[in-house]
Amino acid sequence: MSHQPAAACSPIPARAGIGLRFQHHQAVIEDKPQVAWLEVHTENYMGGGAPLRDLDVIRREYPISLHGVGLSLGSAEGLDLGHLARFRRVVERVEPALVSEHLSWSTSGGVYLADLLPLPMTEEALETVCRHVDQTQSCLRRRILVENPSTYLRFRHSTIAEWEFLGAVAARTGCGILCDVNNIYVSAANHGWQASDYLTALSSSAVGEIHLAGHSVRELDGGRVLRIDDHGSRVIPEVWQLYSEALSLFGPVPSLIEWDTDVPPLDTLVAEAARAEALLRRAPESVARADAA
Amino acid sequence: MPTLLETRRPVRRSLLAQNGEADAYVVPDGLAPDARLGVYRNTIHGTLTTALRLSYPAVYRLVGREFFEAAVRIFIEKEPPHGAYLDEYGAGFAEFLALFPPAASLTYLPAVAKLEWAVSRALHAPDVAALDFSRLLAIDPADQGRIVFVPHPSVALVRADCPVDEIWPAVLAGDDAAIAAIDLGSGPVWLLVQRLDTGVDVIRLSEGEWRFAAQLCAGRQLQAALDEAADIDRSAALAGHLAAARFTGFRLEEAP
Repeated sequence: MSHQPAAACSPIPARAGIGLRFQHHQAVIEDKPQVAWLEVHTENYMGGGAPLRDLDVIRREYPISLHGVGLSLGSAEGLDLGHLARFRRVVERVEPALVSEHLSWSTSGGVYLADLLPLPMTEEALETVCRHVDQTQSCLRRRILVENPSTYLRFRHSTIAEWEFLGAVAARTGCGILCDVNNIYVSAANHGWQASDYLTALSSSAVGEIHLAGHSVRELDGGRVLRIDDHGSRVIPEVWQLYSEALSLFGPVPSLIEWDTDVPPLDTLVAEAARAEALLRRAPESVARADAA
Repeated sequence: MPTLLETRRPVRRSLLAQNGEADAYVVPDGLAPDARLGVYRNTIHGTLTTALRLSYPAVYRLVGREFFEAAVRIFIEKEPPHGAYLDEYGAGFAEFLALFPPAASLTYLPAVAKLEWAVSRALHAPDVAALDFSRLLAIDPADQGRIVFVPHPSVALVRADCPVDEIWPAVLAGDDAAIAAIDLGSGPVWLLVQRLDTGVDVIRLSEGEWRFAAQLCAGRQLQAALDEAADIDRSAALAGHLAAARFTGFRLEEAP
């Protein structure tokens, strides 16, 4: 991780963490739950007041990862420099151990479309994303991780497999990969891909974090189903299985439980993290992680 | 092969207006392209509705979920967000509600929205240190009239035709007895909103005090603001603003 300066926040261990949302700030401060690290959405700390003040307290006890949802790395019209500047201010204030964003786009024609929208998998899109990852890494003066999205559509003119696209972004920019195994499961189910093939195609040395979450299943006319990534339930057994496969390929990697809709009590999140932790302990250390050498 | 930019406009328009423009670019694979786009459309609406519900919780309670979601759907089409920092989204909602025919009978609704926006802005305003008194004391008394204060970014001044400062907390608390006791015809209120360490404070001022505060926050020179505020206890008002840390700095302007 040559881009990474010495961070005041301790590094994220290869253990299980949870996504922290506002409703659990006080519980985390008062009860100090047994989780190894926490991840927060960068956009939730762009203002002042109570959220940042809480985070100042929390970061003394837990390594923090900043996870952005609005940078729109796949923008066709350049990055929103105002947003990038706000992002940088949060990074400077929080001094997180990890910073991540998504392989997606959200802004077009001056409008923010509040979702992680899919990219056509083309050479032009690849060059665009790489340019924006370079720009982000040089602005933040650190390496970022880029996460694979859940997708519900593919473009006719796509020419590159998503896993190759993601691998190429990492190879060309030096960024890491945030491997969301739930997103791989969802996208593979929606598009008829083999989830295992996706994992196998990723370079283990590039994978810096794993996400785990629940998703919903929408029944469509004609008996088809579409899996929707809504972060609103427990991780399903098939995704735990895929997670185990990921650990056997990548070795122990910082792993996160994400839960954003119908957020349950903190105990539930901690219990999910404990499941991940148990699998992490069994992960083969023998998988040589090139960046750990 | 279409370029990235060429596909963006139709996808954006399909997501905002469901007009089918992007269908030709999408692999159907057993499902209508618009049904696939619809998954994203739902998430976008859900996320923006949640953002507005967080900024306008009393409006949400007053009109109920169904009405709120229907109103928000139209508002999003008219005024979609321009950036990903959604705490800044929804500035125009009070004005929208004032012109929204189904809400016409709720005459106090736009005022509640206006206050909630000020409260929301106060909650999310950046942290800025208060004005250091010693800097003020160092100013030559002869120059004091040319002081122009910089208000704290959490400070806002709200005027409403009804007692919105009574309606807002009563609605949030679900206090039906308090709501029933509110006299909508009791006349206008002049409010100052500010974030304190303990939360957001909404204070009722007299009209004169409010105008004086508004002048100072709008960058009026101190002497000019004082001259126009002959009807209030000016030194007490100014001392109150300074003690409550409503200014973060000042500059000396040329005399008018």
